[in-house]
Amino acid sequence: MHIRKIFDLDGPNIWSNKPAIEAWVDLGHFEELPTNKLAGFTERLMGYLPSLIEHRCSIGERGGFLQRLETGTWLGHVLEHVTLELQSLAYSPVGFGRARETLEYGVYKVVVRCASPRFAEMCMRSARELILSIVDDKPYDLDAELKELRIQGGHLCFGPGTQAIVDAARARGIPFLRLTDGNLVQLGYGKAQRRIWTAETDATSAVAESVAQDKELTRRLLAAAGVAVPTGRTVADASDAWLAAQELAEPVVVKPVDGNHGRAVSIRLDTEEAVRAAYELAAKEGSGVIVERFIPGIQHRVLVVGDQAVASVAGDADVLQGDGTSTIRQLIDEANRDPRRGVGQTWVLSRIELTPIVLELLRRQDFTPDSVPKVGESVLVQHHGDLTVDETERLHPEVAAMCVLAAQAVGLDIAGLDVVAADIGLPLEAQGGAVIEVNASPGLLAHLKPLTGQPRPVGEAIVNQLFAPGEQGRIPLVAVSGTLGRTETATLIAQCLAARGHTVARADSSGLHLGARTLRAEPAADATSGRHALMNPGASAAVLETSERSILEEGLSFDHCQVAVVTTSVGAEGLARPGVEDRSAVDKALRAPVDVVLPDGFAVLNASDPVVAGMAAHCKGRVVLFGDSPAASPLKEHLEAGEQALVRLGSQLIWWKGTEKFPPLTVSTLTESTDLASVEPLMAAAAAILALGVSGPELQAFLNKSGY
Amino acid sequence: MKIESVRSLRGPNLWSNQTVLEALASFDGPEPLLQAQRLARRVLELQVAVGCQVSFCEARPVSERQCRLIIQYVEEEVAKRALELALRHPLSTPVQEVRDLPTLRALAEEVRLGPSTGSIVRAAERRGIPARRLTGGSLVQFGFGSRRRRIWAAETDRTSAIGESIAQDKDLTKSLLTAIGVPVPEGRVCTTAEQAWEAAQAIGLPVAVKPRKGNQGKGVSTGLDTREAVVTAHEIAVAYDGETIVERHLYGADHRLLVIGDRLVAAARREPPSVVGDGQATIAALVAKENENPLRGDDHATSLSKLRLDAIGVEHLAEHGLKPDSVPAKGQRVLLRRNANLSTGGSATDVTDSVHPEVAARAIEAARMVGLDVAGIDVVATRIDQPLELTRGAIVEVNAAPGLRMHLEPSAGQGRAVGEAIVDSMFKPGDDARIPIVAVTGTNGKTTTTRCITHILARTGLRVGMTCTDGIYVEGRRIDTGDCAGPKSARAVLMHPRVDAAVLETARGGILREGLGFDLCDVAIVTNVGEGDHLGLNGIDEIRDLARVKAVPVRAVSARGAAVLNADEPLVVEMAKLCRGTVVFFSRNERSAVLAAHRAAGGAAVTVIDGQLTIVRGRQLTQVARVDQLPLTVGGRVGFQVDNLLASVAAAYWLGIPVDAIRAGVRSFTSDVASAPGRFNVLTHQGSTIVLDYGHNASALLALNEALAKFPHKRRKVVYTAAGDRRDADIKRQAQLLADFFDEIYIYEDQCTRGRSDGEIIRLMREGFVSSSRSPRVLQAPGEMAAIGAAIARLEPGDLLLCQVDQVEEALAFVNGMLKQAETSSRPLAQMAANFAAALMVVLSGMSGA
Repeated sequence: MHIRKIFDLDGPNIWSNKPAIEAWVDLGHFEELPTNKLAGFTERLMGYLPSLIEHRCSIGERGGFLQRLETGTWLGHVLEHVTLELQSLAYSPVGFGRARETLEYGVYKVVVRCASPRFAEMCMRSARELILSIVDDKPYDLDAELKELRIQGGHLCFGPGTQAIVDAARARGIPFLRLTDGNLVQLGYGKAQRRIWTAETDATSAVAESVAQDKELTRRLLAAAGVAVPTGRTVADASDAWLAAQELAEPVVVKPVDGNHGRAVSIRLDTEEAVRAAYELAAKEGSGVIVERFIPGIQHRVLVVGDQAVASVAGDADVLQGDGTSTIRQLIDEANRDPRRGVGQTWVLSRIELTPIVLELLRRQDFTPDSVPKVGESVLVQHHGDLTVDETERLHPEVAAMCVLAAQAVGLDIAGLDVVAADIGLPLEAQGGAVIEVNASPGLLAHLKPLTGQPRPVGEAIVNQLFAPGEQGRIPLVAVSGTLGRTETATLIAQCLAARGHTVARADSSGLHLGARTLRAEPAADATSGRHALMNPGASAAVLETSERSILEEGLSFDHCQVAVVTTSVGAEGLARPGVEDRSAVDKALRAPVDVVLPDGFAVLNASDPVVAGMAAHCKGRVVLFGDSPAASPLKEHLEAGEQALVRLGSQLIWWKGTEKFPPLTVSTLTESTDLASVEPLMAAAAAILALGVSGPELQAFLNKSGY
Repeated sequence: MKIESVRSLRGPNLWSNQTVLEALASFDGPEPLLQAQRLARRVLELQVAVGCQVSFCEARPVSERQCRLIIQYVEEEVAKRALELALRHPLSTPVQEVRDLPTLRALAEEVRLGPSTGSIVRAAERRGIPARRLTGGSLVQFGFGSRRRRIWAAETDRTSAIGESIAQDKDLTKSLLTAIGVPVPEGRVCTTAEQAWEAAQAIGLPVAVKPRKGNQGKGVSTGLDTREAVVTAHEIAVAYDGETIVERHLYGADHRLLVIGDRLVAAARREPPSVVGDGQATIAALVAKENENPLRGDDHATSLSKLRLDAIGVEHLAEHGLKPDSVPAKGQRVLLRRNANLSTGGSATDVTDSVHPEVAARAIEAARMVGLDVAGIDVVATRIDQPLELTRGAIVEVNAAPGLRMHLEPSAGQGRAVGEAIVDSMFKPGDDARIPIVAVTGTNGKTTTTRCITHILARTGLRVGMTCTDGIYVEGRRIDTGDCAGPKSARAVLMHPRVDAAVLETARGGILREGLGFDLCDVAIVTNVGEGDHLGLNGIDEIRDLARVKAVPVRAVSARGAAVLNADEPLVVEMAKLCRGTVVFFSRNERSAVLAAHRAAGGAAVTVIDGQLTIVRGRQLTQVARVDQLPLTVGGRVGFQVDNLLASVAAAYWLGIPVDAIRAGVRSFTSDVASAPGRFNVLTHQGSTIVLDYGHNASALLALNEALAKFPHKRRKVVYTAAGDRRDADIKRQAQLLADFFDEIYIYEDQCTRGRSDGEIIRLMREGFVSSSRSPRVLQAPGEMAAIGAAIARLEPGDLLLCQVDQVEEALAFVNGMLKQAETSSRPLAQMAANFAAALMVVLSGMSGA
């Protein structure tokens, strides 16, 4: 079994309207060996991946795929399911796949939907290895492989926060483009775009981030604005630290001026020795050291987005229970085996590490890492443990208002506020609580997946912060496909939009253009160029030519379009990739933009081409036909149904809306004898322009000016 | 010569609207004033010598041997150090020869803003935008309250953090620029030397190698055309980040284009550091010689930096077969490194006017695509006056927070107004980022007036920040407690991110101690300059001195602002000539001569006409409300509250608040215990009236007596103590006024003896009582609550009791508690009386009420 080629279909494609990969897999001699002829294959596969029982497959019920394995199915099909399962186990669930025979013997197209094409490719290559090991009955270390895939998934797929924002955008109909393999995402197209990078937006101020980094400055600004903060000051050296602690006459916190995520922060210190040791630790960060009053209570994380506190989670101390036989080191190892624990923002619980701070904490409880606590004895390993309990509904309105104020004082549009209070349901002043830190780019996971309580729609809040109600970040987007006349059609549409004042990004066979400027003079009817057009912050409209080949091999560059124009399917047979597919794939590729027309958009279809006219059934918006005989099918039925069409009658073009007929457009280049095919691009363009809401006289003026 | 005390007056003050040091100095020799003048001038000269732009100083005699020095400063620390130096060195030494001048200069360099930030701040100040540093570094806040903006060197608060992250990643930047058709050098990311060489061959030699993430040209090598050179360059660059970029070598010069907003503001051509041989000196010697050039400094203060022959430099020489001790031929130019950064000794020539519009367009597009509002775009091209497509030039880097020095003070060519451009990109024309500021000063009525204006403004939807003697309030929430009528509190309000308008009670103490907390205000109100308020403190001995202090806010009124002045007080009326803006007078007396003259000249005033509170402008009259219908006046009886309302209405009117909103504001403004504790709160209890108030000076008592005279009463009683920090004469005067008016007086000594010995205040008051023509009964209680308790317990129907509370919150709670007990009649007042009576001592048995 050999994977010949993998196409990243990173957009709507002929299989699905979501990204997928398409692999061409040559089964070789396994074409003769379906699963029921491979001794023990099914049992061993199910042994590795028992969760495959959930795959319904074409049978449509739980265990469906298992039945197919038992009755015999080909390894291409197995590869599809195993790839899906590895993606799901290693990172995020995906549920769509196809395996199709091709015209070539033993060669299959295996299609798997994916979160990230590169990650799906990795999973597919692992799936192949696993399948071949099972065939040969050789051992395969699936756990190790999943671990590796999980790490790669972390690099290549969206993090949980970004995913939540992107999902929320999608739910509002806002498109997105990934700008890197990481979490830098463009929401919306062209000049309507905004950007996010994890929990930062393009409106997140760099100056504000620098302010938030400086704990001392932040505390000063917060205090001046009337936000409850712990009293304290910066200190010059270890002796000064102890002096400051004595001034406060209460247990203290010692932390670096510049820092985040609790690094080198020591808590609840009340002896000279502890304060001095904590000073040394914090001083290593090199930014200066703060000594401040220790605020007793529970640590809370309040997420502020714009002028609202949208979520709040509470944390609690991390305490291990002794069992009378294990050392603390062993107890920690055991706790770290919890699959929810890890390092970084992807994990709900953090790994416990024997940092100097934890060692100091143990020492103060008279433990060393090798102590063996008694049965049931508690060992505190973190004062402020992981944030796991959603308390958003309990958040007192005054605390919420204070958190918003704190974010504003620092200048952040999105901030995570660390608030220590015995009860977040009461005002802070009354209980001696305080805002102890303001964090830029806060982690969202704790709000999305609290262990207790309800997940909060923080992605939605961020999207709503970026886009006013009803805004979808879209610009007029016209896609043009078809075997002939595409470029002429696209150019005309773009020129007309430009005449109406748009700065049009146009990607077509002549190149990539913005307004009058050619950005690249190479053929650009592909997905990459389309994406470049949509990335351009100068573009107020986009006209994208989409070649069949680019749709087959890359998918579309956009999720939806306002107008999809299909000129003709003449000659589609010749465009199918030899040995692999027949014309139907090309027809689907030509249709791909029609499949993703917005509900309030239009498909502009050639009534004279039955294949193209037949695409109307797949359009979620309205359909505009163009052709030359209003009396013949399908134009006749279309107009009878009250729909719109542009009809050529002799040397005139006439716009119909049902029975309503608009004044004819005169085109000087059009005569009675002009061959229909040669005016199709013009008609397609004119129909698209009219569908975009341009009036007849305006179109006429444009045609006159353009020499038609 | 000896300095007794030094104060920094950080805002408009008694002496000047500039920031000044105020020092009290004593002199032994002859002509102390002359000595003082010379000393002050020396301190000024020292500051000027180290680059501080100051011009004002003066000396005034205080006593025979003492003088007060007033010396302008821009950097407080520098001025203080300059004062120390001036004392330490003979005044005859020429300034430039003062031995410690270099340390003073070093201090000035350290505390002063860097050239980039400084240029922006100066540009803002020229536009009248207030600037305030938030740290010792380059973080500066412009404007006030909700209109404030911030910069951090050449970053603004709109500079996107994401934009900066993108700019940091050269590879990502390049891919984004490629997408929008901005020419960039094609290149590849490499991690090993082998990959780097492969990439170099694929791209075509020569190539450049740089760290994938980096700045200031660190680790960059260019023009590499051999495997060896590529490998070496990779090893240097990879050390920074673990990844390098190998890209097409570009021919031509380095240019830096500065884009601000959607405009190209400046461009400079940058040359790498070099020396020219003389046929004798070694390269090292030539470098040392060039570094003696005074234009070359160690920091960013000069237009050129010192040349360096460090590892990169030596390496670079070696590539050309040279060593630091090689002797170049006469006229031979030796480059010391490839990159042209100023920080490593390069130079910059302004070329702003030659940039081809197409090149400028690409630079602007690049900044927008990366997402930066202020960006330094590095362009390599043989000519900058031709489109990049023609010269095969490219944009090689987009820098966030670009240095501005090369545009401000290029080594050659014209400096550019980049600070102005940044300020203009942050603030629309005419926008000075200020919020309306009302400063309220005067002896009495400040707090009530402050509250009343706040109330009127807040009702129009403005988020008001208020400072007063009760604390700091923002949007009605108290964010600080205690006496907050000073400059620190004013600054806190002006810094607050939500404040749309500020109403600041501005007391005498803060003005003397530190100056005002703001540079300009829109409205300054002077309610009155009362008799006996704080005279004898801080060198303010006469009421005229006091008037000068209260006039400081009037001097800080902006040209578009107004002073709201009490037309009935000659000292206040005189302040009109100090005001740069308009004057609005107020008086209860419609026929006041001052008012009449002002109206005749077309001026604005607020007064009472036919019982109507009326805004007057020349002949135009706008009625606001009937005075006796405004709750604050208690049926029109409390005259001083009418004054407070007049002043408040004048301020609101000048701020452009519509009359309907002013009317609604004054009609709904009350002075009850909850909203204005201790500010003429009127309570009634079983036929008697209790008034709770706060003022402790003669003019307040006069005003109170006037108001209370209009309240029906059988007997008038008062609970009172004098504050110890008033002059003896003032304490006696207060007592006399009490005796003139009240029938029964309860006095006590409590928290506010302020430095006087036990019994002293009572003794002084006693002297005052006996100087009155009336002889009321005077009783002494052991403390404030005991006095209030006794007075209330002994109330009879028809009594009018004034309680001058001192510990406001405690006393109010105490009074409420007593009245509640009495009303629920578990213990009628009569029953409580006996307990309190036991503690009372008769001071004067009195004639009345018997």
